Amino acid sequence: MRRKPHNRLLGACLVAASLATAMPAAANTLRMASPGDATSLDPHSHNESFTNYFLGNVYESLVARDTDFNIVGQLAESWTQTDETTWVFKLRQGVTFHDGATFDADDVIFTFDRSQSDTSNFKHVLTSVESYSAIDSHTVEIKTKKPNPILLNDLLDLMIMDKEWSEKNGAAKPLDLQGGEKPFAADNANGTGPFSVVSRAKDEKTVLKSNAAYWGTKGNISEVVFTPIKNARTMVSAIISGELDLVMPLPLQDIGRIEKDPKLNVISSPEARTMYLGMDQARPELLESSVKGKNPFQDVRVRKAFAHAVNAPGIIDRVMLGQATLATQFVMDKVTGFNAELAQLPYDVDKAKALLAEAGYPDGFEVGFDCSTDRYVNDGLICQAVVGMLARAGIKANLLAQPKAKFFPKIIAPNFETSFFLLSWTPSTMDSLNVFQNVLGSRDLDAGVGKWNISGCSFPEADKLWQSAASEMDAGKREKMLQDAMAIMVENVCLVPLHVQQLVWAARENLEVVQLPTFEFPLEHFNFK
Amino acid sequence: MLYIVTRLLQALVVMLGVALVGFLTFQYVGDPVLAMVGQETSIEDRELLRERLGLNDPIIVQFGRFVGRAVVGDFGLSYSNHRPVMELIAERAPATLELVIASGILALALAIPLGVYTGIKRFGAASQVILALSVIGVSIPSFLLGVLLILVFSVWFTVLPSFGRGETLSLFGADWSLFTPNGLAYVIMPAFVLCMFQMGVILRLIRAEMLEVLNTDYIRFAWARGLKPSSIYFKHALRNTLVPVITAVGLQLSSLFAFSIITERVFQWPGMGQLLLQAIENTDVPMLAAYLVIVGLFFVLTNLVIDLIYFAVDPRIRSAGR
Repeated sequence: MRRKPHNRLLGACLVAASLATAMPAAANTLRMASPGDATSLDPHSHNESFTNYFLGNVYESLVARDTDFNIVGQLAESWTQTDETTWVFKLRQGVTFHDGATFDADDVIFTFDRSQSDTSNFKHVLTSVESYSAIDSHTVEIKTKKPNPILLNDLLDLMIMDKEWSEKNGAAKPLDLQGGEKPFAADNANGTGPFSVVSRAKDEKTVLKSNAAYWGTKGNISEVVFTPIKNARTMVSAIISGELDLVMPLPLQDIGRIEKDPKLNVISSPEARTMYLGMDQARPELLESSVKGKNPFQDVRVRKAFAHAVNAPGIIDRVMLGQATLATQFVMDKVTGFNAELAQLPYDVDKAKALLAEAGYPDGFEVGFDCSTDRYVNDGLICQAVVGMLARAGIKANLLAQPKAKFFPKIIAPNFETSFFLLSWTPSTMDSLNVFQNVLGSRDLDAGVGKWNISGCSFPEADKLWQSAASEMDAGKREKMLQDAMAIMVENVCLVPLHVQQLVWAARENLEVVQLPTFEFPLEHFNFK
Repeated sequence: MLYIVTRLLQALVVMLGVALVGFLTFQYVGDPVLAMVGQETSIEDRELLRERLGLNDPIIVQFGRFVGRAVVGDFGLSYSNHRPVMELIAERAPATLELVIASGILALALAIPLGVYTGIKRFGAASQVILALSVIGVSIPSFLLGVLLILVFSVWFTVLPSFGRGETLSLFGADWSLFTPNGLAYVIMPAFVLCMFQMGVILRLIRAEMLEVLNTDYIRFAWARGLKPSSIYFKHALRNTLVPVITAVGLQLSSLFAFSIITERVFQWPGMGQLLLQAIENTDVPMLAAYLVIVGLFFVLTNLVIDLIYFAVDPRIRSAGR
C-alpha cells in the first residue's frame, strides 16, 4: 500500500502538540482569563474596575477591604481622628516595594500629588481633602474641607507608588496620551502588593509572581499567568480542556456545561451593580415620543405604570438564567444606606394599564428606548424583553440597541439625549452617598452633582437628607438619613429598579477563590487545595 | 524600475486616501474620551482631555496633524493601550504575517494536488467527495469552523491548545512561532481555519483550468508521444494553469489579512486583527488611523509583488508591457 506522506507529517504535528499541551503547569501556577485586560499598569491612568482590581494585586492603598468586606488598614496600620476634619494615619513599618525600596510617608504624599496632576484619572478621590502633609517618616495627616465620614472609602482606590522609582523613570505623572513622552509606568510596575509583575504583553499575557518579601499573609499561589481571551466560546473551551484554572466572568449560557464537569466549579455571588430603567423627567417635551407638548414621565402614575408593566422576576428567570437577584432600590444590601423595608412594585399589567388610562394615556404612547449591547450582562436581551413587556401595557418602545461606544455619547451629560434607557451603577465607595451624588441627586453639573442623573429626576427633600449625610459623623444617624432619602427615590419612581447582577466565575475544583461584591479578586486569598 | 517607482508613489496616494476616509468616519465610531476615563471623572476633566488631545479641532486639522506626524514616523500613543502605536503594530505584525503565510502555504499544499487530482479523475468518487468538501470549506463561516475545531481537538481529544501563540524564536529582528514545535501546535488550527476558504477557491480554479488544458492539442500530442502521465500532468498541464492561479492567490493573500481578523479573535491569536477590533471597540483613533495606513501599504505592496511575478512567469505579459 502506498503511504501518503502527509499522514506522517500530521502525526508528527500531533505528537508535538500533545507534548505541548500535556505539559502540566507548575503546581501553584494560577492560569486565569478574562475578556478584558488592564488598560495600563499605571494605577492612576484609568479609573476602570478591571484595571483597578487587577492592579490591586500589585499595588496597595492605605486601606482595603478584607474578605468580610470590612475596611481595614493596608499600608496604613492605624488611624485616629484628632478632630472632625483631621485624620492622622500611622503607616506600616518595614514595608518594601518590589524593587527593595522602603515605603514611607514621602511615597504617600507623592502619590496624593500624582493623583491630582492633570493627566490623572483619580482626581475625585481627594475632592473632600483640604490638605495633606507628612508629620514624620511614618505618619501622614489629612485635613478635610468639611467632616467626611467616608474618607476611608474614598482612599480605597488610591494605590501608592514609590516616589524615587517614579521620578527616576520619568513617571512622576500619569502618562499624557497626547504623546511626546515615553510610557514607563504603563508597562512596568513597582508596588508593595503580594504579587510583582514578571512580564507584561498587553492583551496577550501578563505574568505575576508571588512577592517573597510581602508584609501580609498570603495563600499558596506562586505564579499567576493572566491571558485575556476576547471570545467567550474559546475561553470556556479552554477551561474545560484544562488550559485554564479560572475564568471570569463565565457567560450565563455555559453555566450548565461547567456544572456538569466534575473537575470544575461555578462560583457566583451578587455584585454591587444594580440595573435600572430610567425615564427623562427633565424636559418639558420628550425628545423621542409620540406625545407632544408635554412630558408623560413627569407624571408619577406613568412611571409607576412602567414599573408595574416590567416583569423583573421574569427577566431574572429567563434572560439572566437565575443569575441575578431582584432589586428593591438603587443599591444592593452590602452597600451602606441600603433600606431593607423597601420593595419592588409588583408585575401587574392591568394595574399598569389602569394607571396609564388615569394619567390620560388609555392607548399608551410611543417612546424611544436606548440600550447598550456590550456593557452589562445580557444588556441587549434585557431590553428586548422590556420592549415586549411594555407592549402588553400599550407602550410602544422603539429600541435603539448600540455598542457602548455609541450608546454612552448619546445619553450622557451634558446633553442627556434620551427619553427612556437601561443603565446601571456600582458605587465605587460601597456607600450610597456615591449613588446620590452621581445618579439620584438633583442635577447641579457645575457643582459636580448628578452628572449621571440621566433621568433628570429631582426631589429636594431627598437632596437635603443626603447632603446632611455627606458630613454627618454619627454612623447610625447618617445611615438613617441615606435610607430615608432612598425611600423617597423609590416611592417616587425616580428610576425603575430591575435586578442586581451576579458575579459568575468558573474555577478548577481544587482552587479556592474569594468573591467580593466589588468584583475585586484579591489573589493573595486564593488557594490551591 | 520606473514601473516600480510609479507603483510606490501610487501606494503613497492610496495610504493618504485611506487615512482621510478613516478620519472622516472616526467621528461616527463613538467618543474616544469616554473610553479613556472612569465614571467618576467630572465633565470639565473630560472636556480638558478632549481639548488636550485636539479632538475638538475640525477633522481636516486633525488629519493634517496626523499626516505631519506620520511623515516622521510618529503615529502617537494608543488611547486604549497607553503605548506607542508603531511599537504595538511592530510587535503584532509578525504574528499576523506568520498566520497568513502558514495558511497560504497550507492552502497551496492542499489545493494544488487535490485540484490536479480532481481535474484528472473528474468522475471519480473521491473527486466528488473532495469537491463537496471544498464547497463546505468555502461556505462554513470561519468562527464556526474555529469553534468546532477547538471542541474536537482541544476539548474532546486535548491534543491541541485552544488559544494563544506558542513559543517564539527570534529571527530577522522579530519573534516567530513557526520554527518551534510548540509554536506549530498553536498555529495549526488557526492556519487551517484561515486557509479553508482560499483552499476551496484555488482547488476549484485549478480543477477548471486543468479540465480545459487537458483537452488542448498539445496534451493530446504528448499522450501520442507516449510521455509518462506524471510528466504530462505536472510538467505540461499544471504549469499552463498557473497564471490565473497566481492572480487568484495574490487577491486571496490580501483577503487573508481581512479574514485573519475573525480567526485571530476566535483563537486569541495576538496579531494585528485583534488590535484593530480592540481599537474599534474603544474608538482608539491613533490606532485606527495607523492600522488603516499600514494595511493600505501592505495591499499595494502585495499587488506590486504579484505583478512582478507575472513578469517572471509569463513571457507574453513581459513583451506586452513594453
